[in-house]
Amino acid sequence: MTFNFALGCNEVLNSFVLLIEGNIEEPQMNMIEVHIATCPACEAELAHEQAMRQLMQEALRRSCNEKAPEDLHDAIYRQIHGQMTGAFTEVVTQYSMTEISIEIDEFGQVEHREVTIEHTEEIRFLNPPTDDSDDVDGQGR
Amino acid sequence: MSTDLVKESSADRAVRFERDALAFTDQLYAAALRYTKNPHDAKDLVQDTYLKAFASFHQFEPGTNLKAWLYRVLTTTFINTYRKDQRRPQISAGEVEDWQLAEAASHTSDQGKSAEVEALENLPDSDIKRALQDIPEEFRIAVYLADVEGFSYKEIADIVGVPAGTVMSRLHRGRKQLRERLTEYAKELGYTTEKNSGAKP
Repeated sequence: MTFNFALGCNEVLNSFVLLIEGNIEEPQMNMIEVHIATCPACEAELAHEQAMRQLMQEALRRSCNEKAPEDLHDAIYRQIHGQMTGAFTEVVTQYSMTEISIEIDEFGQVEHREVTIEHTEEIRFLNPPTDDSDDVDGQGR
Repeated sequence: MSTDLVKESSADRAVRFERDALAFTDQLYAAALRYTKNPHDAKDLVQDTYLKAFASFHQFEPGTNLKAWLYRVLTTTFINTYRKDQRRPQISAGEVEDWQLAEAASHTSDQGKSAEVEALENLPDSDIKRALQDIPEEFRIAVYLADVEGFSYKEIADIVGVPAGTVMSRLHRGRKQLRERLTEYAKELGYTTEKNSGAKP
């Protein structure tokens, strides 16, 4: 062929990365298009590069689609709920000590002794985030 | 009476977080597996991500891209936490431009082309994941965000916290290295990039 192409195959092949991304400006784009239209080898190469890009993407998408294990879903849910509830509750802790019946008989023997320490935790909801929080006035409509 | 101007209560925000953000758990886990390379760390990373995201959800602007926002939290958490003590060699400062320098390019044969396509179509998922795992972290993250998640350069730049030009460079080099590795695995499996004319009858 006697055509004197403005761009050589080497330059055109090297432009494919940008071309596929749509990152080439007008004037250069036109020169590349002219070259490709008249160079079957470059045209085939571009088609191949485009197909490979597509295939790589499909291969990656089909292989990287693991599902999160159930315990992770649960842990996140619990964690978020813990935080949500934490914002609207207070924990009231109460301690009480009870001493019951200490009896010592005439020989100095302890007949019965009982000491209990009680510890209770109560969660009080200050303003629980419920679904019917719209109706918080309790008046309905 | 309009409620438009009423500030969202923290309870409502929490409900919205649960409804909108938790839907991405599977997706974030798959990404975390690519980032950390093991299920145990991936679980921790996703859990940390949700904790951080929940804590700063008031900063998320409703109506903007929640998925991109969550990926930013995921990626930042990964970079700051999971490889804090890992001193890695930084990619060269010239990474933005040097890949654009002309290489000696040549046309490949038709047989070479079809063998490459065939190999990619037949490689098992485990090999695809192995190849992705083997390329440098910055490249892996960029390729994953672009090719699996479909984020744009600009979105990836925001997620990773680097300029868009750097993203382009990482994507280009990452895809190239990935393809080279896949071609190697294909050869190991018996798909060759040369024409296999001696097919058995």
